[in-house]
Amino acid sequence: MTDPYSILGVARGASEEEIKKAYKTLSRKYHPDANINNPNRDQAEERFKEIQAAYQQIMKEKTSGYGGQGYSGGTGSQGSYGGFGYGPFWSFGYGGFGQSQETGYEEEAHLRAAGNYIRNGYYREARTTLDNMAERERNARWYYYSAVAHSGLGSNVAALEHARRAAALEPDNISYRSLVQQLESGGSWYRQRQASYGYPTFGGGDLCMKLCCLEMMCNLCCCGGGYGVRGMVCC
Amino acid sequence: MFGYIRINKAEMKFREFDVYQSYYCGICRDLKRKYGAAGQFSLSYDMTFVAMLLTGLYEPETRTGTCRCMVHPLEKHETRNNIYTEYVADMNALFACYKCRDDWKDEKKLHQLLYGRVLEGRSRRLQETYGEKLRRIERLMQNFEEAEQQQEPQTGPGAQDSGYSRLDTLAGLFGKVMAEIVTVREDEWADHLRRFGFFLGKFIYLMDAYEDVETDIRNGTPNPLKGRYGSPDFEEACRTMLTMMMSECCSAFEILPILDNVEILRNVLYSGVWCRYEAIHEKRRKKEQDG
Repeated sequence: MTDPYSILGVARGASEEEIKKAYKTLSRKYHPDANINNPNRDQAEERFKEIQAAYQQIMKEKTSGYGGQGYSGGTGSQGSYGGFGYGPFWSFGYGGFGQSQETGYEEEAHLRAAGNYIRNGYYREARTTLDNMAERERNARWYYYSAVAHSGLGSNVAALEHARRAAALEPDNISYRSLVQQLESGGSWYRQRQASYGYPTFGGGDLCMKLCCLEMMCNLCCCGGGYGVRGMVCC
Repeated sequence: MFGYIRINKAEMKFREFDVYQSYYCGICRDLKRKYGAAGQFSLSYDMTFVAMLLTGLYEPETRTGTCRCMVHPLEKHETRNNIYTEYVADMNALFACYKCRDDWKDEKKLHQLLYGRVLEGRSRRLQETYGEKLRRIERLMQNFEEAEQQQEPQTGPGAQDSGYSRLDTLAGLFGKVMAEIVTVREDEWADHLRRFGFFLGKFIYLMDAYEDVETDIRNGTPNPLKGRYGSPDFEEACRTMLTMMMSECCSAFEILPILDNVEILRNVLYSGVWCRYEAIHEKRRKKEQDG
């Protein structure tokens, strides 16, 4: 494929904002809706698809460190709910989720099946297989697979819990530990960004005051906050 | 909705606040025009955010105007309107109906039902405009109600585990509803929007459970956080879960090519959504100190 950066006409080191700007400018020009009366609209549509793909690819790379699973749009979505791909597809598909050399042979058949489902993005099937296994069969690897399957289905609370349990059962296993980290890392990425937007703090009831003022203002503005604002929390 | 998805005004520029308010007032006007005064009273911050998000993403033609309000006749307010403020007004009315029905079932509040009747009459139009979407939302709401009615896990082996999946299930169903709301159409952004809405919805559900946990324990109403409340790591666990939801939500948000008003949207996503959390957290801390 041609270099996605040159398709958008931006430098490799361009910021996310510059990339978004470049994309917007180009997509306004080539979007099918803007070319209905254009005699060359087929070419425009081709170009639009190219721009779209380039943008998605660049942003996927740029944001792969964000959130627990990074990017997952469009792929590994067989799991559930038409096209839902919460899946940790990118992170696990190519990274830590390899064949387990150490246990590969002894691995129990059901567990092996679950692993295969996961590798192919069939999280729901993996979930069923795992849930059907008896309590005593649930070893570290079971919890590991279970965590990945949960995460793929958007159940991130259970995913983190099971990843932690896998890591606790086998503290030396690097992939278990890195899964925990991966699931937790979304938090640290988020907190870093949060710092520049000011976390709401209580400086002697300061926030409280401001919240209440806003509340009153909006209430007076057009209409009562309605049921949406269920009483004031603080005052 | 719940009003958790709001701005942190303290960290906002004056101009930004004016723009935010103009969307709020714009939606309010749409509500009044389409659903009358009953609709106006249902407006929530969450929906203002959704309208601004979609406006930023799709950049539709937006009309700017001014309005005077009934309650505030001397001051003129700026308003902004476009197809998304109208869309959001529709969704807002729809959820007001659900909410009324819910409250009626829960506590038999008569005025809620009357209010719901008024809105429902006007929202029949919605069925025609958003048929398939409404059916999907309706189905999810039903699944949600059923899941909520299911027995909460008792103590014993495996109880903790089912507690987590119960949380994910309930929050997830609500997340899917939110995903339906923010995904206006099946286009190149549908996947990202759905993911964004899903985790935002999970956040909202968790926040609501966090806020209500004491009341729910007292009233014996279902709440998936009940089992954890009172344990020493309760606060920390809640904060971790909430942060996890927001970080997933924001990782989808940052992929979307949004430039207009992006700072307002980020103010909400990185700061504003924590206002209520901090207020509740602080209140509990004080209570603990005093008690």
